[in-house]
Amino acid sequence: MSILIDENTKLIIQGITGREGTFHCEQMLQYGTNVVAGVTPGKGGQEVLGVPVYNTVREAVEATGANASVIFVPALYTASGVYEALDAGLKTIMTIAEHVPVHDMMGVYHAARVKGARVIGPNSFGVISPGKTKAGFMAHRIFTPGSVGIMSRSATNCYETVFMMTNAGIGQSTCVGVGGDMIPGSTFTDLLPLFEADPETKAIVIIGEIGGSEEELAAQYIKEHVTKPVVALIAGKNAPKGKSMGHAGAIVAADGTGSAENKEKALREAGVYIAETTTHIVEILKTLDL
Amino acid sequence: MDLMEYKAQELFHKFGMRCNSGITVDSLEELEDKKNEIVYPAVVKAQVKIGGRGKAGGIKFADNYDEARNAAKAILGMDIKGHTVRKLLLCSKKEVAREFYLSVMLDRGTKCPVFIFSPEGGMDIELLAKEQPEKIFKTVITPGFGAPAYVANYFASKAELDKALTKELGDMIGKLYNLFTTYNCLLCEINPLAIDTDGHIIALDGKVSIDDSAIVKLPDIAESEKNATVDPLVKEAADFNFLYIPCDNSGDIAVVSNGSGMIMSCMDHIAKHGMTVRAALDLGGGATAERIKEAVRIILADPAIHYLFINIFGGITRCSEVALGIKYAIEQYNITKPIVVRFEGTNKEIALETIASLDRVIYADGLISGVEELVKLKKAGEKK
Repeated sequence: MSILIDENTKLIIQGITGREGTFHCEQMLQYGTNVVAGVTPGKGGQEVLGVPVYNTVREAVEATGANASVIFVPALYTASGVYEALDAGLKTIMTIAEHVPVHDMMGVYHAARVKGARVIGPNSFGVISPGKTKAGFMAHRIFTPGSVGIMSRSATNCYETVFMMTNAGIGQSTCVGVGGDMIPGSTFTDLLPLFEADPETKAIVIIGEIGGSEEELAAQYIKEHVTKPVVALIAGKNAPKGKSMGHAGAIVAADGTGSAENKEKALREAGVYIAETTTHIVEILKTLDL
Repeated sequence: MDLMEYKAQELFHKFGMRCNSGITVDSLEELEDKKNEIVYPAVVKAQVKIGGRGKAGGIKFADNYDEARNAAKAILGMDIKGHTVRKLLLCSKKEVAREFYLSVMLDRGTKCPVFIFSPEGGMDIELLAKEQPEKIFKTVITPGFGAPAYVANYFASKAELDKALTKELGDMIGKLYNLFTTYNCLLCEINPLAIDTDGHIIALDGKVSIDDSAIVKLPDIAESEKNATVDPLVKEAADFNFLYIPCDNSGDIAVVSNGSGMIMSCMDHIAKHGMTVRAALDLGGGATAERIKEAVRIILADPAIHYLFINIFGGITRCSEVALGIKYAIEQYNITKPIVVRFEGTNKEIALETIASLDRVIYADGLISGVEELVKLKKAGEKK
C-alpha cells in the first residue's frame, strides 16, 4: 500500500510535448511509472517516447482508462488544466507549476471538493510512492521504499530529509509535495486520514514552514484522529517578518500569525515530535519502532 | 504586492467607487505645475509601501500653496523605516460625519474571500482586533458568485445604517469585490470608509495588495510597478530571474540555495550558532553556470557581507553547473571573500572536481558541517 498513487496508477501527463513535460516523462518512464497517455491540444495522434498524445484529457481517459494526471503546463494554464482533468472524471491530479495565481487556486480547491477529487500542489514536486511509481519531477534516486509517509511544503527540505533517511536505512511509503503556495490543492489535514488508514505507513513526517495555519489545523486533526507517531519540522524560524521567502505561502503577518512558535506549540500539544532540523527528523525516526 | 495608496485610489475610481481624488507629484517642480489642481484644505501624503507614515511625519496638512509646498519639501526624500519618499499624493481634506472600516481579503484558513467590517473606522484594524474584538464583524463568502446582498445588510445592521445608506454600502461592497476578483487581490481595504458631510458613503483611504503571481495578467500594474523603487540588488537579481531577499542588516553572512525551503533551513541553522544572515538569494531550479556566476557577483556586491554559504541539493539544478559558475565568478570578478559550498544530488562528483582547485572555496559535506565551517571562518576573522 501507499497513498494517492501506486503500481495500479495509469498516469496522464498534461503538457507532455513541452520541454519539461517530455524530460520528466522520460524520467518517470525510467522509474517505472505507467504513463499511459499525454495531452497537448492540437498534437493528438503524435507520440512522445512511445506514449500516445491526445488533444483532450477526455479522449485520453476514454482510450486508456487513465486514473490520474500530472500537469506540466505553465502557471497561467494550470487551473484550466485541472478543471479539464476534473471534468474528465479524474480523482488524483498533481500540479507542478510555480506562480499559479492564488485566485485560480481558490476556485480549484473548492471545485475539487465538489467532485470528490484530490489535487496536489501547485508549486510542488508531485508525489512518489518509492519502488512503485512517481508523478512529478523529484530526484527519485534518493528515495527508497519503506514505512514513513512524508508531506512537505518545500521540495529542497524534503529531499534533504529523504536523503538522510535513505542513508540511515529508513524508507518511505509515499512522499507528497503539498507545495509552497498560499492555497494548496490538498492540505496536511486532507492527507493525514490517508496516511492514518494506510497499513504500510507506520509513521508520518510533516515538513511545514512559517505562514498560514495549516500546521495548526493539522495539529487539531492529529489530536483527535491520528494514532500513528508524527514528526514535524517547521522551517523559517529566522526568516525576516512580513517578507515573502520565495514560497508565496511562507510569510509571517506582523501580528505573529503563521509564526513557527504558534505552529510548534499546537503540534507539541497534539503529541507530535518536534524536530529542530532535518537531521533531527531522522534521529527521531530512528527511535521509533518502524 | 502592496500597491501605493495613489494606485489603490486609481483602482477605486476605475471600479466606480465613490472615493477621494487627488494629484500625485514626484518633485517640487511638478507641484508648481499642478498648483491650480490642489483643493484646500489639502492633505499631503508620502507614498511609501510601509505603515506608520503619519507618525513618521509623512502626512501633513495645508491650507494654501505655501503650506503645501513646505509640506512637500519636508516629505519628499524623507526616509520612512528604510523607504525613501519619491512620490506624494495631495487630496482635499474631507470633513466626515462617521467613519467605518471595510475590507475583503483572502482567508487562507477557509480558502474563501472574507469581508471584514467595523463601525469604528480610521484606526489601526490590527490594534482594534486586539483591544476591542467585539467591534469587528466578519463573514466568509462562497467564491465564484459575486458579493451576496446579505453582506451589506449584516454590516449595515451593526452600524445601524438607514435604508438609503445600506444601499450605498451594498453598492460599495459590490464594486470592491469586483476589484478584488478582477485584480486577483489578496486584500482590498477601505480605511476609513466614511459618511461625508453630504450624507453619502465615500472611500477615503485605501490599501490594495495583489497576488504577485497574477501581475503578469495585469499589464497596467506591471507597468506602474516597474518604476516603483526597489532595492537595486533585488532588481538586478530579478533581471536574472533570481529572488534576492534582504534579511537582517546586523548580519554579515549571505546564503545562496536552490529553493526557498532550503534557504529557510540554512537561516535556522546559522541562527542556532548565534550568527546572522544579512541577505539570501534563491536560484530557483535549473540555473546554468553563466547565471550562477552573476548570482555570486550580486550576492557579494554588498560590502558588509563577509561570508557566503552556497547550499545546493540538486534535482533539476545540476551541481556541476553551480561549481562552474562559482569558478567563473572567482576568476572574472576577482572575488576574495571565502565561500563555503555544499553539494548534494545531480552531478555532485563533477562539481567536486571543479572546485578542488579553488582555494577561496571550502567544501562541506552537509548542511550542518557547512554551518560549522562558517563558525570557524567567523572565529578566524574575529581574531584578526
